Amino acid sequence: MSIETPVDQPESPTNRPESTHRMKEWFSRDYVRKIIAIFIVLTIIIIPIAWLVIHFLELSGGPASSIMEELETTIFVFTLVSAPLMAITAAVLIYSLFGWGSIKSEDPPMQENPAIRTNAVAVIGWTAATSLLAAFLVIWGLVELATITADSYGSTPSSQQPNATKQIDVNVTGQQWVWSFEYPDQQKIQSDVLVVPINTPIYFNVTSKDVVHSFWVVEMGVKIDANPGAVTNTGFTANKLGTFNIRCAELCGLHHAYMETNVQVVTQDQFDSWVREQGGKRTA
Amino acid sequence: MSQTAVIHEQMAVPQPKQHGKPGGFLAHTNIFTGLIGGVVAAGVTYFIGDKLVPWGTQNADFSQVGLNALVFCTFVAWVIGFMAGIGAFAGPIRWALGHDLTHDDAEYMAGKGQGRMKYWKYTTDHKVVGIQYLVMALVLFGFGGFFAMLIRTELGATWREVFDPNFYNSLIGTHGIVMIIAMIIVVAGPLGNFIMPLMIGARDMAFPRLNALSFWLLFAAVPPLVLNLVMGGIRDGWTVYQPLGTQAPIGMIGYQVCIITFAFSTGIAGVNLITTIVTMRARGMTWARTPIFIIGTLAAAIMGLVWFPMFQYAQLLAASDKVIGTSFYIPQSGGSVWLYENLFWLLGHPEVYVIVVPATAGILELMVVFLRKPLFSYKMAVAGFAGVVGISAVVWVHHMYMTGFAPQAGYPFMLSTELISIPFGFLVLVMLGTLWRGKAWNRLPMMAVYAVIFDKIIGGITGVYLSDVPVDQYMHGSMFVVAHFHYMLMGAGLFAAMGVIVYWFPKMTGRMFDERIGKIGFWTAFLAFQVTFLSMFVAGLQGMPRRVLQFDNAFDISNWISTIGAYCIGIGMLIFLYAVITSWRNGKVAPSNPWGAKTLEWQTETPVPLENFPVLPVVTSDPYGYGIPDPYLKVEEELDQDDNETVGAR
Repeated sequence: MSIETPVDQPESPTNRPESTHRMKEWFSRDYVRKIIAIFIVLTIIIIPIAWLVIHFLELSGGPASSIMEELETTIFVFTLVSAPLMAITAAVLIYSLFGWGSIKSEDPPMQENPAIRTNAVAVIGWTAATSLLAAFLVIWGLVELATITADSYGSTPSSQQPNATKQIDVNVTGQQWVWSFEYPDQQKIQSDVLVVPINTPIYFNVTSKDVVHSFWVVEMGVKIDANPGAVTNTGFTANKLGTFNIRCAELCGLHHAYMETNVQVVTQDQFDSWVREQGGKRTA
Repeated sequence: MSQTAVIHEQMAVPQPKQHGKPGGFLAHTNIFTGLIGGVVAAGVTYFIGDKLVPWGTQNADFSQVGLNALVFCTFVAWVIGFMAGIGAFAGPIRWALGHDLTHDDAEYMAGKGQGRMKYWKYTTDHKVVGIQYLVMALVLFGFGGFFAMLIRTELGATWREVFDPNFYNSLIGTHGIVMIIAMIIVVAGPLGNFIMPLMIGARDMAFPRLNALSFWLLFAAVPPLVLNLVMGGIRDGWTVYQPLGTQAPIGMIGYQVCIITFAFSTGIAGVNLITTIVTMRARGMTWARTPIFIIGTLAAAIMGLVWFPMFQYAQLLAASDKVIGTSFYIPQSGGSVWLYENLFWLLGHPEVYVIVVPATAGILELMVVFLRKPLFSYKMAVAGFAGVVGISAVVWVHHMYMTGFAPQAGYPFMLSTELISIPFGFLVLVMLGTLWRGKAWNRLPMMAVYAVIFDKIIGGITGVYLSDVPVDQYMHGSMFVVAHFHYMLMGAGLFAAMGVIVYWFPKMTGRMFDERIGKIGFWTAFLAFQVTFLSMFVAGLQGMPRRVLQFDNAFDISNWISTIGAYCIGIGMLIFLYAVITSWRNGKVAPSNPWGAKTLEWQTETPVPLENFPVLPVVTSDPYGYGIPDPYLKVEEELDQDDNETVGAR
């Protein structure tokens, strides 16, 4: 139910303008143009933050796996997609502070503002825009999750990855406050440093001896809780040589802060010789 | 036979007889008898348990269980003894004996003629309970804030361990849970109790005695929690994941008793708030005319009532593991750590909304007054709150993406988590639409509105990253999460609470708030807050895990900045607290409606009389009849013609 238009309405109801004209009139208003200008400037300011965020992510030497690369893409895209939403909210905020002005007085101001109770275009437009945005994020996320799951668990069809690279299993055990790694297929080598060959899928069976830990291979973008009494799985394929961080990401008691070790990504040859060396030690 | 209905005249109800002075037993009880009762009950229980029952003499394993049971019983005895000492059981015992309260008794219990003593007693008046909640929240913030300063001291001193790691772990746990409790009560407690009945035009809450019970249960729950610091501490973060919690020293029992008692308190308060809002609104206050703050309080009360029992149950099972040797959470004996995590987060996530929703609703309420405009799209705000309440039930697993308990659960819960941003988006539009073309009256509460919207932008966008399972593989358990939830809980929650408390300060205390000093404190805290937590985002992105006391040198710089920022927050908050205390003691006496607001609580006099309104008000329109007709544009009114004529007639 609509009400009779106010007397100072520019057009009479019988001569109601086309919606395009009304939009044109709206966009010609001074404050609308200024807010749009602020919005554009803010968007331009905010967008570089996407690169800044990626810069911070890469400070410690990553990305070192395809998972981390995909994850950085996601963060980058999400920042770009959210930038307009941040900018429009901030633009209205800024214009409200400095554009529409304010009243400094001790007593309640007599002057009142326009009684805008609702606006169908704004409500529908906003709902549609935020829903589309959410739908985009959901779809992106679901696809991304499927991809990453495939990467982590090695469930990509074997036809694409012929036997040139064989998967290596590693049993990870967290206990207060060390990580230990066992290579069941490589003569059950035990190690407190994770050594993996480059470009080979690594598959982890993670468990804990006492409390909940969280196995976080930082630059690989992989994390899974180590639970007592259960085995959880994850995995990655390293694509960068070097030494990277493994940390515990779940408070596990007194020396939680010191429960960290390294992952060394080496070439296949180096890995093979490391296995021989370690295996030799075991038999000796 | 005649079918005519007979209308009986109202019969005189027999009134209970007055025994002695009004108040009876309750005239002799107050907080001090409560403390004495609690300490005596705890002492007696401990003595009997220790001396007479032979559990202390069992073998090594069993004696630990015995000690836990002893401490558990002692804490429970403290709670019961305290409640008995303060007179909480006087009412039920009188019913049992057939002596109901007389009118004079009821008035005595509401604090009539007791001066300031009523704040220290089992008082049923909602205004007294509101003030009690406010003071309690301030005290808890004091504790929690002090712990936060100690934590930042440790993290800022990157070159050494300032505290023993066990003490540091207790600090993070205690800081977390104390702040969570303080944030839950800071809006829904003082304002839900003091302002809400006034705002809907009621004489009191629906269940005044339950109201007193809910506050004093909260009061009784706090000492076991704070005492843990001298009993080994909560070394497990505020989440107390099992089985780490089972290893913890006996201080953990204090945490469990605190949560179990606090959940009773919130449950009782939730029933009371919901009943009051649903049944006691003034004549003519239809749902469409109910102020939005009431809707927000209702939403928070529903979530609290439905989900707090999960937390309580989680802690009951944990206590039972420690006290009687069950193994709900002990994997070696067939338990599951994931059971605890699920039960915990079933409350744990809705609880965030229990904090944020009433704070946001309060902000919407005061925006209207300071912008002299109606609320933009009331229906959308209601839809936003309803959506949050609904979806909040199905998002808890996003705290457990990385636990591995069900890798496939990532898909549906990512969907629900990202969907909840849509109702939150509604609330953002309501805020922006209300700001639209409004010339703001620039007082401190209005400044809080700007601060909160700014924090919501950052908190909301960083939440988008965290809702995504793949990104969470990196972010989960890192400082990024810590910074994000401080933006939501502190940036959007606490700063909103500061705004709404300043807004309703004149009605609650009868004094004007000293905005000159208050503004200095508020802006110091706000700017320092940005420094502290923006820098913490950087540490998180670099890969710093949370809850550590020593870390890689790569994180040094951002931690130094955060620590300096945190100290400045502390200074700002102290200045703000100074403004609260001085204005409360000797501020300018407030008129009954200093803001020229239209909601009902401002229409009664200040200080508010015992029964709130001389004559119960009748409502003829919604309270948002501000503003002039829009000269630009035809406004599509939501109200029908009748309502529109009476807008502003009140």
